[in-house]
Amino acid sequence: MSERALTPGIPWLWRFGLIPEEYEPKQVILAAGLVTPAVIITVLFLFLPLFFVVLLSFTEKDSFFGQPVFTLANYSDILGRYFVNLMTTIQLAAEAAIVDLLFGFPFAYFLVKRVRYRDVVRAAMIFPMFGALYLAFGMRFLLLPGGPLTPLFQLLGLQGVQILYGHPSVVFAMSIFTFPFMVMNIGTALSNIDPALEEAATCLGAHPWQTFRYILLPLSRSGILAGLLMCFGWNLGAFVEPLILGTLKEQRVLAWTLYQRGVVQFDYGLSAAMGVVLLALAFSVTYFSLRYSRGALAA
Amino acid sequence: MNTTASIPTFRDRLIRWRYRWLNARQFTNLLAHGYVWLGMLVFVLPFLALLNYSLQKGDGFSLSNFRYVFGSFLDNLLTSFKVSSLAIVINFLIAMPAAYAIVRFDFPGKKLLLTILTLSLYVPAAVLGIGLVFTYNFVVRLGYSIWSVVFAMVVGTYPLMLMPIIVALKDLPGVYEEAALCLGATRLYTFFRVVLPLIGPGISAGVLLTFVIVFNEYLVTLFVAPPGITTAPLRVFNLVRTAGIQNTTAALAVTMQLVSFIAVLIFLRAFGSRYLRGTYLF
Repeated sequence: MSERALTPGIPWLWRFGLIPEEYEPKQVILAAGLVTPAVIITVLFLFLPLFFVVLLSFTEKDSFFGQPVFTLANYSDILGRYFVNLMTTIQLAAEAAIVDLLFGFPFAYFLVKRVRYRDVVRAAMIFPMFGALYLAFGMRFLLLPGGPLTPLFQLLGLQGVQILYGHPSVVFAMSIFTFPFMVMNIGTALSNIDPALEEAATCLGAHPWQTFRYILLPLSRSGILAGLLMCFGWNLGAFVEPLILGTLKEQRVLAWTLYQRGVVQFDYGLSAAMGVVLLALAFSVTYFSLRYSRGALAA
Repeated sequence: MNTTASIPTFRDRLIRWRYRWLNARQFTNLLAHGYVWLGMLVFVLPFLALLNYSLQKGDGFSLSNFRYVFGSFLDNLLTSFKVSSLAIVINFLIAMPAAYAIVRFDFPGKKLLLTILTLSLYVPAAVLGIGLVFTYNFVVRLGYSIWSVVFAMVVGTYPLMLMPIIVALKDLPGVYEEAALCLGATRLYTFFRVVLPLIGPGISAGVLLTFVIVFNEYLVTLFVAPPGITTAPLRVFNLVRTAGIQNTTAALAVTMQLVSFIAVLIFLRAFGSRYLRGTYLF
């Protein structure tokens, strides 16, 4: 406290113990100034909206605009009438994540171990990330009866309409959208495994399946978990795939219901409560996924 | 010691033939590459389908559908470009100082600050959208201007500008700045003449990510867009919802994806994928 107290400037911050002693006062003040614009934007356009979402979720319909009537009815509605919607959201996201894992693990393995043209693969993987909108639009055209894939479906003995407007096509579109996340996570985990381990297992007479089961799977577990959670978290907010590719059953997903109730029917309370549920789900999933991917920024 | 070679049996010859033409290793390799190529095909297929469809006109192929892109859709495209460039500028202006402070200065609560600043990446777009609708109604009244869309985009994407800049600044040794300061440059002069040119790739990574995300964003826009302001992805969304599948809509979607893809390719040619690691695209 000796020299610090004598520093010219604003000593009161230190006097009240607001800032620990080991920091350089000039640096702290400069840093605070530099960080301010970002913090202001975050508070105004992120925390304030989320605060309003939480607040309005406790009010009845659109009463917040006039005389606010506080109630818990919205949440009981979600657990009652709209429980199906919540379950549909979770089910679709979980299915997409599992499909991603099943197809993504071999893909990531080949990408890391066998393929030398990784940049080409990455370039192709960029396309789904331009947005689920184009993806769903393209798939809708592909799956349309009489579309380009019709001969293939006839070969498999399927009717066109059954495929479009159906559960599988929605799950498929959602899994394509999040496939790169899965490949990224598992690929990172796999490339961190020492190749000598695999060779040693083979030399000791392990079958490829045994190598996979006892070497690769345990060592890439964190990547698999992170990938699963990340795909699940992203698909919780699925909006356009169920809308364009799904039936009314798939269109019950929370994000779309939220839009319908909130923006179209002005039932702000219910839509805000759905937002709170979605937010809580997404945050908890993200928290665990970041823990498993060991703090790597993987949005 | 028996040195006479026995006559190979049919089985021996079969094994040798198989080994020469298709041994197990080669076979699994073939499967692996086939699988990867199939995956790539699935990724690109929706785009290729739209491209094919956008080029159809009656029975033949023609570019005439793309006339609409520069005709009735031109307004939407221009709005999209305007929103993207405004978002990029604002992102840079708020992310650059924050990144510099986080990397170069020592202050309490740094980790918490970083968490707060990257939190918006994990908020589902629909929740952010409905929250912004409330906020624009109660507190921040931006009216029917384009700024309501721009700030909605900024809050969703500036972490993507922040992160590559932080990576670039961490890669840059502090000695250059110290040398400049020792030689008598002011901090501001040092920043503009030494730091800024050296972290160029990081900044361009942020610009690229912001552009790609904002240029293709439809969901938050759907919530907050005031009447009269329709970005191109939103137009695609509305048309797909109301008018179904049309060649002209496909042409617009193809144009959007091509522009984004070319931006990514140019970036990769110029800087490689180093600064995109761990973000949306890589």
